[in-house]
Amino acid sequence: MLTPSFLLAQFQSGLTAAMFLFIVASGLSLIFGVLRVLNFAHGSFYMLGAYMAWQVTQWLGAASVSFWIAVPVAAATVAILGGVIERLLLRHLYGREELYQLLFTYALVLILGDAARILWGTQQLAVPRPPLLAGSFDVMGIVVPHYNLFIIVLGPLVALGCWLLLSRTGTGRMIRAAAWDREMLSALGADVGRLYTLMFMAGSFLAGLGGALVTPVRSITPGMDVDIIVECFIVVVIGGLGSLWGTFLGAIIFGQVLAFGILILPGFSLFAVFVLMAFVLVVRPAGLLGRPVKR
Amino acid sequence: MNWKQRGTALLAVLATAAVAGSAATQTQAQTKPIKIGYPVILSGPGALIGEPSMKGAQMFVDEQNAKGGVLGRKIELVVRDTKGNADEAVRVARDLILRENVDFLFGTLTSAEGPAVSPIAKENKIVFVVPVVKTDQLTAKENLHPYVFRTTTNTTIEGRTAAEIMAKWPNIKRVGTISPDYAFGQDVTRAFVTHLKKLRPDIEIVDQQWPKLGEADYNPFINAQMAKKPDAVFSSLWGGHFVTFAKQAKALKYFESFNSNFLGAGEAGAIETARAMGDDYPMGIWANSYDAFNWKDGPPAHAEYIKRLAAFTKEDPPSSWPITGYIGMQMLTAGIAKAGSTDSDKVSKALMDITVDTPIGKQTIRGKDHQANRAQFWGKMVKDPKYGFAVMTPPIYIDPLPFMD
Repeated sequence: MLTPSFLLAQFQSGLTAAMFLFIVASGLSLIFGVLRVLNFAHGSFYMLGAYMAWQVTQWLGAASVSFWIAVPVAAATVAILGGVIERLLLRHLYGREELYQLLFTYALVLILGDAARILWGTQQLAVPRPPLLAGSFDVMGIVVPHYNLFIIVLGPLVALGCWLLLSRTGTGRMIRAAAWDREMLSALGADVGRLYTLMFMAGSFLAGLGGALVTPVRSITPGMDVDIIVECFIVVVIGGLGSLWGTFLGAIIFGQVLAFGILILPGFSLFAVFVLMAFVLVVRPAGLLGRPVKR
Repeated sequence: MNWKQRGTALLAVLATAAVAGSAATQTQAQTKPIKIGYPVILSGPGALIGEPSMKGAQMFVDEQNAKGGVLGRKIELVVRDTKGNADEAVRVARDLILRENVDFLFGTLTSAEGPAVSPIAKENKIVFVVPVVKTDQLTAKENLHPYVFRTTTNTTIEGRTAAEIMAKWPNIKRVGTISPDYAFGQDVTRAFVTHLKKLRPDIEIVDQQWPKLGEADYNPFINAQMAKKPDAVFSSLWGGHFVTFAKQAKALKYFESFNSNFLGAGEAGAIETARAMGDDYPMGIWANSYDAFNWKDGPPAHAEYIKRLAAFTKEDPPSSWPITGYIGMQMLTAGIAKAGSTDSDKVSKALMDITVDTPIGKQTIRGKDHQANRAQFWGKMVKDPKYGFAVMTPPIYIDPLPFMD
């Protein structure tokens, strides 16, 4: 039963799930890291990314490139929507208690969920695998779909891209400064408002990107918004809210615990993840790689 | 409805009302519509079943009203969203009875909602007809009361039918199951396994996977199951869950590993699922569905029903879910007509052992357990060149009477 090839297959599937999750959760973590807003509606942006990807592939028809156009278009649309929401609505809540922000983003979940239902109905939708990546490799007796491999490579690239952006560019420096002390940065003459909008758009972009990328392997249904947000919360709590590499680590742990958990505790793999989260919260309340939040 | 039909309908209403009115003292009550409270999921993931099922009920009501309604009164549906939540379903049901003064209850959808609303019907002595809920619990001995009736199939029928089919497949020795880990998935899988062991003691159940309901990543479950090398697999993953599962499984060559000897219950053969998946559907597997638009062996009434439904929902070929609401409403209406009254005690008696000519043939509600002998369509899913997606070829309706308790 526990042959090396089987363990490798489990590891591979855990890693694929982890990278999907990382791409989405990184957006949640980045937004929290800078804006200090825990965005409940992040899952809704993910859902909209998936629906938009489906919509664009419908418009473009069966062309083999349609998926590759749909993904950036979907992510960009979601980013723009995020920017509009931040600028027009969320902005007014920064000075308020966290409870108001939570209530507001929760209201967004309901509004966007209903909007998706009105626009796309309640039927499950599906996007075919892009022809370029429809096949699979046979490695050491296991089947690795090309698309899984693509996601496993893309995840770390997204992480690296975010890290370079934050640590090697001027904007990145400003973002880190804003996370540290927004009043001081503002007093020094930086346009913190614009920075926040950009950050929220970047986070939304990642959610939309994640949503668009899962469409070839998951069905698009109402309710996918709530499912993903719970998983994202677990990942960022384990890894450390606001920490990019923490989120990366949290996603990998989450994926592997789920993949191997079913072998040890069939039917209780999710339970194992929650136990792990509770354990991390007790031992390191800020998460594995998180820094304690400055009050 | 054209003017001639409308005139005839009006005459029928007037005639019946006159007869009934002379007999009863309350003439006004007889011309008021019969109100049927309908709690059903219209938002969230369950809506993809709730909405089309409700359309079927609505179509029947429209057709019946065009013919003058029942007992000379129009039927009016009072639809409320349960949001897929049992507590909300109970609240809505109470509200429909107390404030809307509905004469009957109809509907609910999940295996949590139906059994939760049933005691409300009992408490208020109101007939409650259930067109979609499958859990055996609903009409189990300890929960049965005079007012609850199920017009759809149940988990025992569905699981046993699947076992009857698989028992006939050649060269099957090692069987696996994969089902969502909640009431419906567990019940239907248990019914399947128990019945299969009875039919084929030589078959061994080698693996059982229980992903949570709404699982997004089935890869670990698929790998684990393939490692046990089953010859055939039974599944009750439904709707979008099946779509996600099958897409991931196909990429891992899961279906190929046991020659597509896969039996998908939980309506994995529903047209919505096949249409959404297109070429990604695992062709060659067996699956089931509540209705089959291409049922060549069916009665002429079925073909006519499909044609009317396509016009009503503007979908061609139409959904397989509306038949649940249609038949349920047809049976309730037949009960009211047979009782000659809207009094729930009389209608309850009338519904016992009632036989109704439905679009899929004669259906009977058994008096002993208030359960209709309703089965489903099963068949091999083959890509249809005309539609470009998998279609049950041919759909087979399996009468459940020989293996119902």
